[in-house]
Amino acid sequence: MNQKPTAAQIAAHSMPFMATRGDIAPTFSAEAYVNNQIKTLKLEDFLGKWTVLFFYSSDFTFV
Amino acid sequence: MAAVAALYPQFKQLNAEVLAISTDSVYAHKVFKDISPSVRNVQYPLVSDRNQQISRAYRVFDETAGVALRGTVIIDPEGIIIAKLIYPREVGRNTHEILRLLQAIQYGRQTGLGVPANWVPGMTGIQRRTEDIGRI
Repeated sequence: MNQKPTAAQIAAHSMPFMATRGDIAPTFSAEAYVNNQIKTLKLEDFLGKWTVLFFYSSDFTFV
Repeated sequence: MAAVAALYPQFKQLNAEVLAISTDSVYAHKVFKDISPSVRNVQYPLVSDRNQQISRAYRVFDETAGVALRGTVIIDPEGIIIAKLIYPREVGRNTHEILRLLQAIQYGRQTGLGVPANWVPGMTGIQRRTEDIGRI
């Protein structure tokens, strides 16, 4: 049970969606705090622009 | 957050929008913005992924901690993911590298040239010529 999976075992499985290079960015709609207001943002609002998503663990943390 | 805020004007110049996303509520985001000196100057949206769907969909959700990983995803104007970086929990991002990456992608697309390792703006790209294969 402690055995680490080998590359051969992993390679034998089909690849799930990994949201990585070349994939269609999953669209979403979510509330956001921006310009001192709460707004609903949609990823599609940014089509035509480059978009950089910065995921972070939690407000009020150090790093 | 402050590190991204410092470069935000440069991201805007590259026709890029920045979204910061965590699983906190928008109410937490508001208080965070109001009281934390490091985010006071943030102009980009703080997105609330309260139901964790965005973090899960982008495969940057830490099931054990119940929060998003420190992941960065660059999406092109057509909505295709161009790059994705995951940082360790203990280490903050190199925001200059993310900006450089965006500049490099745009340079490559505008010129059709290959963008070599450690390229920075001002450097030239590489012609993709068949006769050069094996010579560079």
